[in-house]
Amino acid sequence: MSSDIHKIRNIGISAHIDSGKTTLTERILFYTQRIHTIHDVKGKDGVGATMDHMELERERGITITSAATHVEWKDHHINIIDTPGHVDFTIEVERSLQVLDGAVLVLCAVAGVQSQSITVDRQMKRYKVPRIAFVNKCDRSGANPQRVTRALRDKLGHNAVLLQLPIGLEAKFEGVVDLVEMRAIYFRGDNGEQIENGEIPAELQAEAEERHAELLDAASMFSDELMEAALEDNATPELIREAVRKGVLSLELTPVFMGSAYKNKGVQPMMDAVTFYLPDPTDVPIEAIDLDQDGAAVELQPNPDAQTVAYAFKLDEGRYGQLTFLRVYQGTLRKGDTVIQTRTRKKIKIGRLVRMHADKMEDIEAATAGDIVGIFGIDCHTGDTFAAAGPQINMTSMYVPDPVISLSVSPVDSKAQDNMSKALSRFTKEDPTFKVSLDPESNETIVSGMGELHLEVYIERMRREYSAEVETGAPQVAYREAISRRADFDYLHKKQTGGSGQYAKVVGYIEPSKDGEYEFVDKIRGGRIPTEYIPACDKGFRSSLEKGNLIGFPVVGVRAVLTDGNSHAVDSSDMAFMTASRMAFREAYKRARPRILEPVMRVSVEGPGEFQGAFYKSLMQRRGTVLGSTEDAGFARVDADVPLAEMFGYSTDLRSATQGKAEFTMEFSKYAPAPKEVSEELLKKYRINVSDEEDA
Amino acid sequence: MTNLMISLRRSPRTLLERDGHPGPGPGRLGLVMARAGVGKTAFLTGIGVDALLSGQKVLHVSLERTIDKIREWYDEQLVEMLKRDRKLEHLSAVQLTMERNRHIHTFVGQSFSVDRVRQTLALLRDAMEFVPAVIILDRMEYAEVDEPAIAELKSMAAEVGAELWMACRTHRDGPSAAPGHLPPPADGFEDLVDAAFSLVPQDAKVRLHVIKDNQEIVEKGLNILLDPQTLLLVTGVAAKR
Repeated sequence: MSSDIHKIRNIGISAHIDSGKTTLTERILFYTQRIHTIHDVKGKDGVGATMDHMELERERGITITSAATHVEWKDHHINIIDTPGHVDFTIEVERSLQVLDGAVLVLCAVAGVQSQSITVDRQMKRYKVPRIAFVNKCDRSGANPQRVTRALRDKLGHNAVLLQLPIGLEAKFEGVVDLVEMRAIYFRGDNGEQIENGEIPAELQAEAEERHAELLDAASMFSDELMEAALEDNATPELIREAVRKGVLSLELTPVFMGSAYKNKGVQPMMDAVTFYLPDPTDVPIEAIDLDQDGAAVELQPNPDAQTVAYAFKLDEGRYGQLTFLRVYQGTLRKGDTVIQTRTRKKIKIGRLVRMHADKMEDIEAATAGDIVGIFGIDCHTGDTFAAAGPQINMTSMYVPDPVISLSVSPVDSKAQDNMSKALSRFTKEDPTFKVSLDPESNETIVSGMGELHLEVYIERMRREYSAEVETGAPQVAYREAISRRADFDYLHKKQTGGSGQYAKVVGYIEPSKDGEYEFVDKIRGGRIPTEYIPACDKGFRSSLEKGNLIGFPVVGVRAVLTDGNSHAVDSSDMAFMTASRMAFREAYKRARPRILEPVMRVSVEGPGEFQGAFYKSLMQRRGTVLGSTEDAGFARVDADVPLAEMFGYSTDLRSATQGKAEFTMEFSKYAPAPKEVSEELLKKYRINVSDEEDA
Repeated sequence: MTNLMISLRRSPRTLLERDGHPGPGPGRLGLVMARAGVGKTAFLTGIGVDALLSGQKVLHVSLERTIDKIREWYDEQLVEMLKRDRKLEHLSAVQLTMERNRHIHTFVGQSFSVDRVRQTLALLRDAMEFVPAVIILDRMEYAEVDEPAIAELKSMAAEVGAELWMACRTHRDGPSAAPGHLPPPADGFEDLVDAAFSLVPQDAKVRLHVIKDNQEIVEKGLNILLDPQTLLLVTGVAAKR
């Protein structure tokens, strides 16, 4: 491994499903000599592209898991973290975004910026990931990289600037003009591996000069030196690159490159761009928390000699057992080292340390800050931090949204039962948004996740990878209950009829909390409730939240305040105060005007403009709040907030309403109060269920 | 909710109403003029927020900007108003009401045409029963929309009974207004303008002038100072008038 941290790049390749990301990755591996033949996605040879290593992904032509692959390019070490393109797997995307320092946003030269690109870009913005754009498929009919660049500006709000121009387009696409060096680049040989530089074609000279001037204008904003040099007509490629790099790192500039991975054109200059413009691990501040200092934020230093801190971002079940992908953020991780898993405080010995190449695994002795490696044989979850002895450092925990949908799974036989438990325990370790629980009433196993497709993929994986045949129930929406006003309580729990009695009195109120989280406040003065019983009160309220009285879903956003109470020298106990708090909550809850909250999804539908009206209608019919619409060269996109409960079967309906010409994405947006009719329906159903169970 | 929303209004429009310059009215065109960066967009957003708080429906049409960006502008103004009245806890409820009554339509690249706006209006009416009382054309400069197009937009607004608002950029070194006329470049289509306002930066604030009202050029200056960030009324003398 290079000791020079400035030559490490941890990058993601992020793209809409059909923009050719896998093909591009395949070509990168080929040019970096990690693979020796080129396959295509869903190739006729049945082999499939190398990064797409899951059978299921291969079949669907999509990428779900984020594997990390190490390549070397011109003296640089590049770790490619494969980011999933589908938003249903948000946590996978977010997990990869957390460990990568920069990204290549791949866009299709024909379809341009599509709804998924918008969602993924929004996530990148959230994680402040600097990015460069690669406009792929310039050989396709209808390719127009300039239009895509405009869409980057208008639809995604990027300050996009061309660093290349296409030489020819569609079937005549030959190469690119490098606007920094002001020369033409052609890709010769069977696989485009021979780069040939040449003069800019005469017919492109004028445009190249104009775009070069635009590039200077845009880049000068980030470098006074370049600005001065440009005024004197003396801007060197080094100065331009330096300025563009500054712009990219500050997230204020997105350089645009182009090519056709399929036709082996433009990939190598894009790789150069990764080394020129995307950050190395020292360019990005890394924040962690110090658990010894009450969770105070600490900035980690990418210094190989500091205390080792590494973060598990991906688990993979391989032939040799569990493979954990780690990013080393600080210090050096050596084979044979002992580190501490912060969550469990367990000591872990690093037995085998590997670097993952696309074609093989390489055993290594050590990995330094900034590097991404795999380790074998440790039991952990994704999101775990490992640190050498010293302060208890934890990487800032990733935001994990609550699951919004669930369904019951039941194994068809006892063999499936065993396999299912194995599979479920694996999946929950891998994916914090995938949750498993047991319905105490029906005794069924319930799996919950972020969307229909998210759950479908896991069910499918159970069948394929674990041969666990399961039957699934209908998807259920994860509702919540919440109170909407303050209600006081004054409850005495007293049982003093012979034997040891129970006595506890709690006085106070419950009210909606400000941030939607549960909060417990102890305002007792003068020891009216002895301090030792206060945690029991907290526990009592907390346990009441698990299942609300309206429709049996968890209660969120309650602030419980204890102001007074009473105790008995002999008969008071933790149990008595827990019961008193539970009963007090139950009574106050009814008066606090409880209501049902439903998960609302942000939905973007996109397709040919003629369907704009159909999009409005379809979203309105599903109780959607249409937020806006966008028109772009004959295409229309409509954004809306739609309750998840109404989204089942939307893909089928949309397909039939638009002859399959439209697509949509959705991601969780918020919990919002369900309208009256919906609430009443849910209440009715719940009551029928409860009385059925009582009758039974 | 309605009372709360009306009580939140902090737009300069509330003062204009009191001073007898309520704005253009249905089927008419209001224009805000200023140099680049003074706050034309914030002013137009303020017109939108104010209409929404008054219970009206708003169609906000924009070139260049994303839907998310425009929503942010509305939300920023709303948060500011709620903060001043210490009523932030009502944010999500007011937001939801506003979202239901607002539609943002953006054009990317060269897609804009008056015809497309007309079609969108028809689609909104037919598919969602959405008929705006106020149409805001943001980020559309006179260079992009010529006089016949403005006339057409105006008649389109008149058909649905909506008030139309646009912005017009003036230039620092450009010629000043001829007596009895709007400043250039708005003099090129001034017959179509029913009400016009200008924004002028002054002592870290922005001063709002009424320059045309009821199709007449107004000579008398109005003393309204606005917050340069939000273009809402500055609390203090002006707000208490």
